[in-house]
Amino acid sequence: MSDSTILIPTKNRPANAGASMSDDASRKDGVQKVTGAAKYGKDVFPANGLFISFVRCPWGVGELTGFDKDAAMKVPGVIEVDIDKDKKEGKYNGATVGYVVAESPLALKRGLAALACNWKRRDAVTRLADALGEVPSVDEAAAGVLKGAEMTLEAVYSTEVQTHSSLETHGVSIDHKGDTAIVYASTQGTFSVRDGLDDAIKLKRSEYEVVCEFVGGGFGSKLNGAGKEGTTAARIAAKYKRPAYLFCNRAEEHLDTGNRPGSRARISIGFKKDGTILGGEVRTWGSVGPNKNGGGCNVPSGRYDLGNTKKAHEDVALNAGMPRAFRAPGHPQGAFVEELMLDEIALACDLDPLAMRMKIIKSDAIKEMAALGAKQIGWDQRSKTGSQTGVVRRGMGMGITSWGRFPANVEAEVVINQDGSVEARTGTQDIGTGQRTMVAIITSDGLGISVDAVAVRIGNSTLPEGPGSGGSVTTVNSAPAFMAAAADAKRKMLEAVAQRMNADPGELDIKSGVIQRGGQNAIQWKDACAMLGNAITGKGENNRASVQADKTSGTSNGAQFVDLQVDTQTGIIQVNRIVAVQACGRVVARKLAESQIIGGVIQGLSYALFENRLLDRATGAMVNPNMEWYKIAGPRDMPLIQPILWTKDGTGPRPLGEPPTIPTSGAIACALLNALGVPVRSLPLTPNKVLAALEKGGRA
Amino acid sequence: MNSFAIARPDSFRAASKLVTDGKYSLPVIKSGGIDLIDHMKEGLTAPDLLVEVRGLREDDRRTTVTQESDHFRFEAAATLTDIGESPLVSKSCPVVAQSVLSAATPAIRNMATAAGNLLQRPRCWYYRNSQFDCLKKGGSTCYAVGGENQYHAIFGDGPCHIVHPSNLAPALMVTSGVVHVMGGKRKEIPIADLFHMPDRGVRSENNLEPGEIITHITCAMSPRSGFYGVKEKQSFDWPMAFACVSLDMDGETIKGARVCAGAVAPVPWMLPKVADALAGVNSGDDAGIRNAAAIASRGARPMTDNAYKVKLLEVVVYRAVVKALGREPEGLA
Repeated sequence: MSDSTILIPTKNRPANAGASMSDDASRKDGVQKVTGAAKYGKDVFPANGLFISFVRCPWGVGELTGFDKDAAMKVPGVIEVDIDKDKKEGKYNGATVGYVVAESPLALKRGLAALACNWKRRDAVTRLADALGEVPSVDEAAAGVLKGAEMTLEAVYSTEVQTHSSLETHGVSIDHKGDTAIVYASTQGTFSVRDGLDDAIKLKRSEYEVVCEFVGGGFGSKLNGAGKEGTTAARIAAKYKRPAYLFCNRAEEHLDTGNRPGSRARISIGFKKDGTILGGEVRTWGSVGPNKNGGGCNVPSGRYDLGNTKKAHEDVALNAGMPRAFRAPGHPQGAFVEELMLDEIALACDLDPLAMRMKIIKSDAIKEMAALGAKQIGWDQRSKTGSQTGVVRRGMGMGITSWGRFPANVEAEVVINQDGSVEARTGTQDIGTGQRTMVAIITSDGLGISVDAVAVRIGNSTLPEGPGSGGSVTTVNSAPAFMAAAADAKRKMLEAVAQRMNADPGELDIKSGVIQRGGQNAIQWKDACAMLGNAITGKGENNRASVQADKTSGTSNGAQFVDLQVDTQTGIIQVNRIVAVQACGRVVARKLAESQIIGGVIQGLSYALFENRLLDRATGAMVNPNMEWYKIAGPRDMPLIQPILWTKDGTGPRPLGEPPTIPTSGAIACALLNALGVPVRSLPLTPNKVLAALEKGGRA
Repeated sequence: MNSFAIARPDSFRAASKLVTDGKYSLPVIKSGGIDLIDHMKEGLTAPDLLVEVRGLREDDRRTTVTQESDHFRFEAAATLTDIGESPLVSKSCPVVAQSVLSAATPAIRNMATAAGNLLQRPRCWYYRNSQFDCLKKGGSTCYAVGGENQYHAIFGDGPCHIVHPSNLAPALMVTSGVVHVMGGKRKEIPIADLFHMPDRGVRSENNLEPGEIITHITCAMSPRSGFYGVKEKQSFDWPMAFACVSLDMDGETIKGARVCAGAVAPVPWMLPKVADALAGVNSGDDAGIRNAAAIASRGARPMTDNAYKVKLLEVVVYRAVVKALGREPEGLA
């Protein structure tokens, strides 16, 4: 048994047995990751390197009125201080106005201290609710719908800002050797870093390569090409012809590397007593940074028939770090609003929220998944909303999800060497989802050899091109390319071997690492490879046209069910169990697919209960730019999570990155409503809000 | 972080001398180092000498937790794990074991020491962020007033509104805890005298003199004692409110009680009126216990965002009393 394969099937999830190409495969790089042998970009400290740190605005709005450049330059080891002459105002905590370069991290820190920036603090806008401006009244047509409806719901929902909190912070380490360079990047797009460095690094593309073998989290925030971290480090490296290292610290990571924007939604919906939604208006606002962009809140989602519901959205600028794509951008906040709104309507109509949803869910596949999830969670045990009076009350809730397959260009190579070794190559990075493992499994399956016999080379700009990992595109588009590359390599291999054996290639096949002729074992893999005149390179690709031609592919639907309990005296919520039914097409590696779903659920749970970028209302500074007060769910907050891989509605490639994180927070909010009898319309669902809702609703 | 020297003296006396002899400009005592390293990383303090006392013992004893006649003795460097996982302490002084085991994470509890837990600085996010020149750092403003104060104090009236961060201190407050020191004029300091309110000196939270070092801590055995705390997250979080209770029983009647709340005031917050109200209450008299617990929040003056703590305080006091009586709180069993 090799160290990369642990032959213990995940027995605790029998529903998923046999769902995948490899039920047993563990991550190919799992041991490296848990032992620390895996080297991330942030771990690379080239000899003779320079260290760079940005000078940042400490307040929501600050004017840089003075700094002591001479003092900073006098600090031993400080070699450059550059403050942008035109940019002496920061419009959010963390905004950059310049940088310091030093020979060591210690000199850098001392240099920044000696620079003694003097910031004049100005008033900052820190709360979405305070910055809405004039709020329009409900649209005339929508008002008409409301007027004619038997019942209406008018409510305001809100969500807070979630930061990506990547464990490996944003940055690059550039080993600049004078006329060549290796760029160690922490990125979701190896090739976008390469393309983004052209001007800054002052080398030809043939003279530098980007390496990204491991990424310590990105969730969308590392899709910005080289980023200002990369271009700044590249400029410094090029200027001094020396290695340069620039990685954010934990606070900078919270402040200035993106986030999921906060949102506010005003719902005015008319419906019938039987739960039929007639329509109305959904008006949303997204809290963004000074650039006023990226605050989308995806409600209505389109997954439900909400009648004639009009949508209006506006981004509202705060003095705060800017949003970036974050695992299903706009969706979890939208799903929170939509699912809780539906449960409130069901409550008003005295309907079971599952039964009510079954009438308005548009997709038959989702209805079927919801029925399965309900059975798994024990929906028939669900108490009537508001019927409980004990200290600890139990609740169940649900939410649904969907995500389309986006096309991407992928070039794949599979090389068979004369010594029998096999290499699968793609420049595409593995952002933690298992690209390396997936490529090995697809290649081994296509060639007819074991997974361990395939060496995978990924995350390097000198390898065949692949996409940035955003929008759940990596596996769904890489897998077909590697299937084609493996098939191409196998065909070439068998043609060459057939010639040596005086056989017809059609007679030959490869099974379990043995070349068979007419179904009988003929030659061992290694001996067959030794017959080759040259190494064989099989090529495959995936592109927009091939994706469009693939009729087996489709949307990744899903349904999640939550069982929780809440202590009505303390407001503490403990989620007991989450069932996640998730479409995923043909599964490559069962454990990895299950992990992907579990990870999405955990991120959704953490979002629902804890996460909140909190800006000081008086100064605009983030008060919790750390992992202590920026709260993320920990081991004891974890429920039993049961992913169910749904392969029933097609075995073609389906995306799995984004969809599982979409419905979790909404399902939790619905379960809380079920337990309490009153809704908590604001994420995160913290104890103070739970207690306030109980008091207001007279249900304490 | 700046450069510093580290000294490992072979006795408390030598350690005390090292921090008072004036050879270094900012010598500090280091025990587990959890809070100190946080301070150094954030730039809140830049000591040039760390005097390591973690390995020191007053005598040649091998264990950090000892039962001596009617009390327990914890060496200064006893870790929270040593104390919390001691079967003796959990049996004869459950409030102490339960309170330390609810702190931090297993990894931190393995490093963090009893003395360090008492002397750690507050977790206030304005204090901990070097860019805020708050009262504790010599400034003129408490930023929690008019700022983000959901985790701040509901008692004490300022001028600084921290909550005391120690989990152990309130447990010692209800178990006649005594801090034993050397290096100064005193040998013993009752735990209640170890801390002061902000109006008695806002730059520090404790009353140790320079050179005074805690050697060990003692507390009375209190088999009828209990702890209850509420944290938003169940892993690695600071409590929003907690209570420590110790009871003297006369059969099934509470003869006397000591009640101390944590995370609600700048010092461990004794609740003598709750204790008075508990005296004479029968252990089965749930309403009597509830009425006594309701007194806990009297005099609370919440800030803009922490009124929820007022209700939580009554709940944690009630539940700690019930736990001290050896039961699970009603509805939670």
